[in-house]
Amino acid sequence: MNIIEIENLSHRFPDGTLGIDSINLTIQEGTLVVISGQNGSGKTTLLRHLNGLLLPDRGTVRLSGVSVSKDLVKARQIVGMVFQDSDSQIVGETVYDDVAFGPENLCLDRSEIKRRVYDALKAVGLKGLAEQRPHLLSGGEKRRLAIAGVLSMKPKVIVFDEPFSNLDYPGIRQLLEQVLSLHEAGHTIIVATHELEKVIAHANHLVIMKDGTVVRDGMPDEMVKGVEAFGVREPYNSRPGMEIRSWLN
Amino acid sequence: MAELTAFSFRTGASFLHKLDVRFKLGFLVLISLAGLKAAPLALCVITFVLIAVIIDTRLPIKVILKELRYFLILLLLVFIARILTTPGSTLIQIMAVSVTREGIYDGSLVCWRLVIIITLGLLFVSTTRTSEIKAAVEWLLIPFPFFQGKRVATMMSLVMRFMPLILDQAKETADAQRARCVENRKNPLYRLRKFAIPMIRRIFESADKLAVAMEARCYSENRTDPWLSSGLKDWVALFVVICLCAMIILI
Repeated sequence: MNIIEIENLSHRFPDGTLGIDSINLTIQEGTLVVISGQNGSGKTTLLRHLNGLLLPDRGTVRLSGVSVSKDLVKARQIVGMVFQDSDSQIVGETVYDDVAFGPENLCLDRSEIKRRVYDALKAVGLKGLAEQRPHLLSGGEKRRLAIAGVLSMKPKVIVFDEPFSNLDYPGIRQLLEQVLSLHEAGHTIIVATHELEKVIAHANHLVIMKDGTVVRDGMPDEMVKGVEAFGVREPYNSRPGMEIRSWLN
Repeated sequence: MAELTAFSFRTGASFLHKLDVRFKLGFLVLISLAGLKAAPLALCVITFVLIAVIIDTRLPIKVILKELRYFLILLLLVFIARILTTPGSTLIQIMAVSVTREGIYDGSLVCWRLVIIITLGLLFVSTTRTSEIKAAVEWLLIPFPFFQGKRVATMMSLVMRFMPLILDQAKETADAQRARCVENRKNPLYRLRKFAIPMIRRIFESADKLAVAMEARCYSENRTDPWLSSGLKDWVALFVVICLCAMIILI
């Protein structure tokens, strides 16, 4: 079943720059999709249409058959977004407060908020840091906190925008494990990254973007060979024709 | 970002942490007003009480003093201005400038009062979540329909939340400029311009990112706010604070 259907989507910024142009894409429920492309290829612009942070100039985005622009709050509940810069999306005074921010916006009652916050913190392994100040966390922990903030809103789809940037090797591995466990739990995962190597071994679907358009869309194994033509580094193992290995092995 | 300003919430289980935010806000106003004209003996009493509260809240005093060092410089300037401008019996005379006994007395009192007010603010902010302050401000603005209480409270809480981030960015910008020998430029206006423009740009960029992140998490002014409740301990504390203020005024 398609959870996201994008038809003929175009967006132009106020300064006249074309962000994305005539994008058609469908994403099946429960898949792990990687969207790749060089900087400025339109990945973030596309992602921001999935939960109505940007609205299309032309075309439609449908979540489970319902247009995003018809109910923005619902769209933002269905599609949780983890941004590249964790510092700028942390709004709470403590880890607990930050995770509670989303459920509080949904006007849930206190007991439900508390339950959701502790479930989300448990899922990302931060339960013991509930009373910690977020800005004292490490980079990897902040990224996991951002994920918990999204999880507490019980989304079906979780979107990661450049999740591996500014993380050290252990941080990348931890985050990757987190992404995979969310995928195993049934979430549809969309990862936008130009660092294909770190996640491609686990992807079911690869989308390559260039200059605001989708230039490749299909199975990762079939497409990974030609990605350098679009400004994306081919995974190291793929070059001599070896099997692409996970960063977790 | 390991460093933070002294003025941020610190989790704890002290008596002050457990008090209702509306009462704490009231105490802050009452003691600050009473302290404005307090005599040295009264200031001693307030200082003693504040030291006891600080010990109870377990605030890291050394770290806070380090972070407040610029404020201490401001206090020094206030003190110098007072000792040089208050008329009275001269202690030291250098050309036309004289340091007076009354100036030293007045300057010390003013600085002492300012330290008390700052410490009160510090204790309030360190023991109160921003969301609670927001809820209290909304509650206080209910009788004033012409104020958009929720919006005012949101702006206040965001300013408090983002102060550490702004200061951190200021430090980063200053470090980056020092790394490129900005100190060799002696013109302070040039340095201020080179510092302020990128700094302000970064603040706006951060504000923009924050707004998008809040929107992505369904932010609205109508949301579940903390539940404000008062109990016996709040009323007992109010009684003690009123007695303290009466004593400060009467001494």
